[in-house]
Amino acid sequence: MDIDDILREVDPIFHDIPQEQRDLQELTRAWVAERSAPELLPWPANGLFERINANIKTQIEKVEELTGDMDPKTNFALIVIQTELERYRYLVRSYLRARLAKIDRHALHYLSTDALRARLSDAELAYATRHQALLHNHYLSSFLSSFPANLQNLNDSAAGISMIETPDLESAVFIRLLKDTPVEGRGVDADGAMDGRESDIVILRWSDAKPLVEAGSAELV
Amino acid sequence: MSYYDIDSILTDAEKIPCTFQLDIPDLGYLDNTPTQPLKAGTKVNLPLWLAEMLAIANASDTEGKPFVTFDLPPALGNDVVQALKADPRAVPLRDQSAHFYGLATQMMELSEEQELAAILRKTFVIRASEVALYARKVGGVGHKGKGGADEGSNLGVGGAGEDFLRALDEWERSLFRKAHDGTKSGKEWMEGIKKH
Amino acid sequence: MPMYGDLGNKLVQHAKRTQNLAHLPPYQTELVRAVTREVRDLDKDVASLLEPFQGSFDPSADQPTACTLLVNHLSIRRNKRCLLAYHRTRTDKLEELVWNGSDVLDLAGQQAGGANGASAADGGASSSLSPQEEDYVRQYGDLLAAYKGQWTDIDLTGSLEPPRDLFIDVRVLKDAGEIQTEYGAINLTKNSQFYVRQGDVERLIAQGYLQKLG
Repeated sequence: MDIDDILREVDPIFHDIPQEQRDLQELTRAWVAERSAPELLPWPANGLFERINANIKTQIEKVEELTGDMDPKTNFALIVIQTELERYRYLVRSYLRARLAKIDRHALHYLSTDALRARLSDAELAYATRHQALLHNHYLSSFLSSFPANLQNLNDSAAGISMIETPDLESAVFIRLLKDTPVEGRGVDADGAMDGRESDIVILRWSDAKPLVEAGSAELV
Repeated sequence: MSYYDIDSILTDAEKIPCTFQLDIPDLGYLDNTPTQPLKAGTKVNLPLWLAEMLAIANASDTEGKPFVTFDLPPALGNDVVQALKADPRAVPLRDQSAHFYGLATQMMELSEEQELAAILRKTFVIRASEVALYARKVGGVGHKGKGGADEGSNLGVGGAGEDFLRALDEWERSLFRKAHDGTKSGKEWMEGIKKH
Repeated sequence: MPMYGDLGNKLVQHAKRTQNLAHLPPYQTELVRAVTREVRDLDKDVASLLEPFQGSFDPSADQPTACTLLVNHLSIRRNKRCLLAYHRTRTDKLEELVWNGSDVLDLAGQQAGGANGASAADGGASSSLSPQEEDYVRQYGDLLAAYKGQWTDIDLTGSLEPPRDLFIDVRVLKDAGEIQTEYGAINLTKNSQFYVRQGDVERLIAQGYLQKLG
């Protein structure tokens, strides 16, 4: 049992946990979930990353203050802050890169509807739109512009294959149940169902797991 | 099936034996006789990307008959299927087709060969666990750290294993790479834990 | 006799090899041109096949022509897919190089020159990139820089390995000049060894200037 569990029991609303620590928790959860889910998850809209950015800036300033001309190898406090800072940076970087990899792979899909576009941050939306334009221009200037006009599209679905690639929502994920809940999964030969208990770990298709995760009954691990 | 995927594009280039069902004046070139019409009954090996659509194009039309009919390619012929029935691990799939499973899957979608489908599924399961077994062996022993010559090689697998690994189809190769990398990073992680 | 789509297939085989290479092999200018030409020829064939029908072609009334049109149409689609996949495989590779901080344009020139020393004599070393790819690399570099600019404190192109040792021992493999760290300047001369912050030198390790010691 760690400090979070104790605090949760004493004060379910988390008032005593400092904002910074809650942000770190949320970032860690978002990072784990983004790396596990086969499709792009919504960008946190609650200002999480603005706060995290500000926090990282503060820590960098603290490091600069502490550094002076001391020997870094002997300054334990400095090393601790530096280590924490590196971890923070790593989490944000790894999270952003996992998202960008998904966006690059299926850019036309995520740009295709308002609902999907809403999952991207403003910066991601700008990046994806421009990246797609660069690619289309590159194809046009390399060969596509000498094609007949009706064949210059990048988004039709002739001959049974859509040119717009989509993420595989049927791939398997691990989830941890956050409360008792029935779990249903579709299989190749037969479907399965079970009465899940809190903290059970279950492996199933993302399409089956998604409703549980969105309802807050489970989290990706 | 994904539009930009190199392996699925190469799978679509696999040829299957087709028979044209009508005379077609302009397609003689498909049978190496560009100046002659293509006669009904002519057998031509066509790539999947062409054969598939020619076989189903008119099928929904009650009056029309399909432009071509097709047979199973040699890679899924009787000899191969009998050998797979006997021991899936002993068949060098790559010699049949570098995209054996991709080809097989597409053929199963076009025809209702239930028995063949069952044999292929069993083949896949048995061979996949064999692939995973070798990947663990190689991933476990082949890692000698930075610049070591053994890194990622098949040394230590033995002669029979070498033959098996050489003859994997593309899908099995990617499975092997994933299982190998997984084992390797798992081992590195364990070593990292021990150090600290 | 070569069939429509055969040349496109060659391009995709090039792409398959490219996926397994660390560097980018030369752009297949001639092959790309030939496949594109094939598309235009097929399109002209379609137009001339349809011409006598004056826009009222009934496929069920003329099956042989319907079949020929379908073959032409599918061949066009196939070539388009091959061309797109070939170019996409290469831009994927180029983007990866941009992310790794390599000077792609410089590197490509060196490679082409090194692989074929004679080419330097007759008209200068040619790049393994097409001129369009060189443009693409510049534009993508700008795009990435713009996105990275929103995350200046993160170093978005840094290591994706979870941080473990904050300070590491490194050996200098080739002179890299002076680098600025938060603890002041370090002069990296060949064969010297340093105990430095990992985050400061990751780039130099990736580019082969430094070797991480055990």
